[in-house]
Parts: sequence; C-alpha cells; structure tokens
Amino acid sequence: MSTQQKFTGIPYETALANLRAKTPELNGTLPEKDVLLKTFHPDHAETARTTLTVGANAGDFCHPDLAKLLTANPLIEDADLAGAENMVTDVLVIGGGGAGAAAALTAVQEGAQVIMANKLRIGDSNTVMAEGGMQAAVGADDSLQRHFEDTLKGGHMAGKKELVAQMVTDAPSAVRWLIGLGMSFDTQGGDPNGLLVRKKAGGTTAQRILCHRDFTGLELMKVLREAVDIEPRITQLNRHPAVELLSDAEGRCVGAVLYDLERRKLITVHAKAVILATGGSGRLHLQGFATSNHYGATADGLVLAYRMGAKLRDVDSFQYHPTGVAHPPHLAGALISEATRSAGTKLVNGLGERFVDELQPRDVVAAAILREVREGRGVERDGQVGVFLDTPRIIAEQPDILQRLVTLGHIAHKCGVNPAEEPLIIHPTLHYQNGGIEINGNGETCVRGLFAAGEVTGGIHGRNRLMGNALLDIISFGRRAGKAAAHAEPAHNNRGGLSHVHNFQRALQKAGVKSEGKAPVLYPNYGTFDWKEHAGLVCNID
Amino acid sequence: MSEEKYKLIIDGLEVEADKNDTIIQAYAKAGKAITANVGCMGQGVCGSCRCLVRKEGERSAETKLGCETKIEAGMQVSFLDYFLPTHVHHYDMNKVGDGWNWLEEVDETFPEAKNCRHCGGCDTACPKGLEVQNGVAQVVMGDFSTASTTFDECVMCNLCTLACPEHIRPNHLGLFARRMKAARTLRPIDLMRRLQEIDSGKVSVNIDAI
Repeated sequence: MSTQQKFTGIPYETALANLRAKTPELNGTLPEKDVLLKTFHPDHAETARTTLTVGANAGDFCHPDLAKLLTANPLIEDADLAGAENMVTDVLVIGGGGAGAAAALTAVQEGAQVIMANKLRIGDSNTVMAEGGMQAAVGADDSLQRHFEDTLKGGHMAGKKELVAQMVTDAPSAVRWLIGLGMSFDTQGGDPNGLLVRKKAGGTTAQRILCHRDFTGLELMKVLREAVDIEPRITQLNRHPAVELLSDAEGRCVGAVLYDLERRKLITVHAKAVILATGGSGRLHLQGFATSNHYGATADGLVLAYRMGAKLRDVDSFQYHPTGVAHPPHLAGALISEATRSAGTKLVNGLGERFVDELQPRDVVAAAILREVREGRGVERDGQVGVFLDTPRIIAEQPDILQRLVTLGHIAHKCGVNPAEEPLIIHPTLHYQNGGIEINGNGETCVRGLFAAGEVTGGIHGRNRLMGNALLDIISFGRRAGKAAAHAEPAHNNRGGLSHVHNFQRALQKAGVKSEGKAPVLYPNYGTFDWKEHAGLVCNID
Repeated sequence: MSEEKYKLIIDGLEVEADKNDTIIQAYAKAGKAITANVGCMGQGVCGSCRCLVRKEGERSAETKLGCETKIEAGMQVSFLDYFLPTHVHHYDMNKVGDGWNWLEEVDETFPEAKNCRHCGGCDTACPKGLEVQNGVAQVVMGDFSTASTTFDECVMCNLCTLACPEHIRPNHLGLFARRMKAARTLRPIDLMRRLQEIDSGKVSVNIDAI
C-alpha cells in the first residue's frame, strides 16, 4: 500500500546492540519546533499542497489528492434517480461511528424520528479503533482553562476558540452521559466511587486522559451501538453509503441519495435536517503513507458537503501518528497507542540515542522520527525503516505494564515479538484529518439543513490534534448536532434534487477545471468498487 | 521484496497472496468489490471480518476474525455475513431500576439465559477465546462484577449469538450486565466535583486569556 520514498537505515542487529549497550539519553540535536515541522512534517512536503480553484474555498490550500476528489464528477445524475424509492424522516444521520451514534441518540431524546445511514455497519469506524482515551479535565490539579489552552496550543493556535471552549466545558458532562449509557471508565484501585485513572497525553500540562484500559474506543462504541440497536425510533440502514446530498430550490439540504448494497438500488431519504458524521480520510493513503484508519475512511462527507457549498478549513493538515508499526511489512501502519509513550516508553534511533521528548505533541514527535529515518539514523529490517519503541526497558521497569496496555501485548504478538525482550520498530502512520467542514457550536454548516460532527469537521483541533480529544469531540459535537438538528425548521418545499450538483459542475466548467474521476470514492482503491457495475448498470455493448 | 506465495480459496475464489498476509489482506487481492466483512483491517476490534476457516487436511472448520488470522496454503475461507437476528432484546437503560432488582431485570430482558444447556458452542465460536458460557452463568447468578470482567474484551462479533441454540445472544447479555453495572455504580468523585463546579458556575473558560 505504501509508495513512500524508501530510505536506508542502520541494520537491525547493529541497532539492537546499540540499544542494549546503554541507557539512552536525549541527544539534544532536535532543531527548533518550527524548523523541524517545516523540514520534516509530511504536511510541508512539496507534493502535499495545492490551491482549490472552485467552490466555497477557492483560493485556499488543500491536499492535492483531496482536491481531486472535491472537484471530481458526481457518481449519479438525475436519470439515475428515476424510480428510486423514497423514505422520509426528521433527521438523517450519515455515518455510523461515535459522532453519528451520539447525534442519533440525542436527536431521538429531543423527540425526532431518525434514519441512520451507514456505509458498512453501525460501529465500523475509526471510533471503535481508538485506544488511548478521552480528555476531560476532572483532576484537582487540572482545569477547563488548561484543557482549553493545551488544545489550542497543540493545534498551533489554528482552532476556533469558541468551539474549543465549548468542547472542554462539555467534557465532564459527556463522560457522565456515557456512564449513564453504561460505559466503563477505569478508576484508581477499581473503586467505582474513587478517582478516575488519568493518563498524560503528549502536549498536555496535566494528566487528563480518561480511559477504559487501552481499548477505550471499543468500550465506547460497544455501548453506543447497543443503545442505537435497541432504540425503536432509529431506523438503521446498514450497508447504505451516501452517494449524494439532496437540495431544494433554495439550496437548502433536504436529504440524501443512498445506495442500497443489498438490493443494488438507489434510494432517496428526505429529512428536515441531515447530519454528516462520515469521519476522515486515512484510507486515501495520502502521500503513500500507510494508515491506522478504518476501511471506510475515504473523505466522502467532505466531497458531498463541498459540492453543496459548505465551507471547509485546514484541509491541507493531517495527523501522522508517531507510532505506527513499521515491521513486519504486512502490519505496516497498524497503530500502537500513545498510551504506550504516555506510560514512559522511550523512542530510540539506530545509534541507541533518544532524539525527542516522547511526550511532545504528535506532529513534533512524528517529524522527529521522520528526520531520523531521512538522515540515515533509523533502524532497518527487511527493507522497512523506522525507530525503536523501547518496550524491553519499560517492561523491566514496570513489570505489570502489559496488564494495563492489553492492546500493546496483542500487537507485539502479531508482530511476532516478545516485547519484554525485543523492541518494536515504528514509523509514523496517517491517522487523522485535522481539518474539515466548518461548523458553529451547534454543528451547523453554512448550508441550511446541513449539520456535521466528528472527524469530518474542522476548527476544533486546529492543525494538530492532541490525544484523547477525538473521542471528546465526537460526543460533544455529536450530541450538539443531534439536538440542533432535531429542532431544525423544516424546508418550505422539501422536494429534493441535484441542482447543487449542476451548479457546481457549471462552476468547474467556468473555471476551466477538467474534473477527473468520480467521487465520493466510498471505498479505498483496493476495494475495487464501481457502483454502476455493482448495480448491473454498465452496458458492455457499444 | 519478493515473498513466498500461498494459494487459498476465499468465498469460492482462488486467491494467491503473500505467505505473511492475513485473510483480510488476501481478500483485498482477490480483485472483487469489497463492501462488507471488512472493518478495522487488523486491529481485531470491530468484529466485521468473521469467517469460517478450514485448514488443509482438517475436517472441522473454525470461526475466526479474518484480520487476525494468517493465511495458510490450501486454506478454505467463507465469510459470515451479518444479518438481523429474529429476536432483539429491547430494554431501556433509563427504566432499569436502582440495582436491587437486577436479577429480575435480567430474567425479564433475557428470559432464555437461564436455559443455557452448556453445549459450549459459544466458547468454541469465540475468536477472542473468552469464557462465554461461564459469563452467561455469572450474569444469571447476578455476579455482574465477574461477568463484566469475563466480557470485557468482547468485540461484539456476534459469533456466540450465531452459535447459541437457545437464542441467548450471550455477547448482548454480557454487555447488558456491563452497562447496568457501570450506569448504576460508577460514580467517580472527581467527576462529580467538577460537574458540580461547572453547573454552579464556579469554573468556566476565559477565551481571551490566551
């Protein structure tokens, strides 16, 4: 999957001997943060940025691969809708991860009928894969203000202050809401009336990550999925990817067109409000990076929203998680949780040196690793280059650590490594879409009737997200979008069509942009999916 | 890097893949449209890629998660599609009482659970090696703490539900117990204090302070 430029490093056996020879000390060679990021972070590569020429963000920077999708041809035309079956609801939620589930459950609580359209199944999402935890400033030594400032600074001051303030203030009640639904959080000594276990995240000034062991996302999504599954006022349409939104004559969003994969037919859903909760874009493998993301993360929501006129932001900013697996090759990109570094595990190059403070923000640590690799100080094994995650030393210091870091043990086992004896080899992996659709505090976009929540949105994490703020984001804004959508004013005439698509195509033509390909792509390219072929609509006779 | 190749059958298609590939990676090389039975692609947490696997020369088939299982030459794999069960156990968390009537509530919501015939089908089906059958007994006995631990690492792949002849839906029963326990007993003191401070207006964020 990875087409990245290959670098050479220090052979594994030599590097291992260097690691074992002494206790690694920080070598103090790291350049200043700005210089480091500009030189080594993938967002700053020459091939990582283009300018959008059409749409609400004309003139703004965007990743070139994403720009191609934003200006691509639509999957469907008017004629494809002839005879499509129609459904009607109050709120249509597109996306079955944590943000979508939180939005759907809240909309129902507010009295709305909800249809939830999921590309795969409910729960198949990046949420279920989240390991580390969720930020909430509950400690006596911590405050909402510190959470606010850490988040803004971690995001290079590019976040919207109002949204961040709202999210950090929501955090304790979001945790309470999740407990009310039956989610477990770790407490100190297991006392349910004691203090919550708090971990430290890179870039934070206090211990603030609440967790359920190191599979917090699984615990969270299990509970949300079950709550949605047994809620009679939510109709779930699993295996129904959204292929287009529907607009009325005033340009308002009044529903969406879904593709029913079982019956191989398009259906339309009309709703007074639509919530996009389609997640991120890791499976586009930007710049040839391996990814830690779920199979369905292909930027669909950005494409659909942009075509309808929604404004995006920071769509040239992505998060490369420092600790993806680099070896063995068939596991490249799989995530090793930040909880591992949070617990004190060190990063060591092929010379046996620590080259970065492991608890710096993720972009800094990732750039520092890429610097080691690019400058030949990485560790090379079977053609894969990375740096060591020094698990033997941390396990020697804290023999019970694998009981807390269950997933670390699992992944080491899959890598064929005994982590108490052998270090893992890691390399940054494409992990998160920092930018996305602009929203206000209620999850509203600039298109009436269209709401968004979760990774598909931008403005909260600025240009770099801190660990544990993604699970908070999806609950805080998922609930807010669900509530606001349930109370949205219905359109005057909610007969939906594709006029926004035609307008966008005219704009492309006017700007002289020759659009290539079709979008949303729905699945990664190795999913070999073409909806017309799937639906039996391709005529092979010319 | 050239690797040794294995041939295997996935959903009736002959596939050739690298010997270190997992079933899900080999599936991606089969060249057919992949729109289901795939999810986290390796982390083993979403439970989507459930499949029946028969190794060459063996008579019986095992249930596995495709993303966690390495391929072998001559292996036969069939993915198990998801379908809606005929009976879903509906309950309302808000109506579950204060905890004194948990035994009755379990019996009301999951009346089949006490009929477990100890066939062990659920244990055999579980790709995570959980002690599912014991977990069912623990919930029925009202030992929610032990049951919570038993089902902690469950990924809700529903294979035990498929295997259960009594329609108990063991994973959902386990999750019911876990949810009740957390919702009714988890009251962290630091969280309660912070909520009170926010609700009373004692703490807030000053967005101009930065």
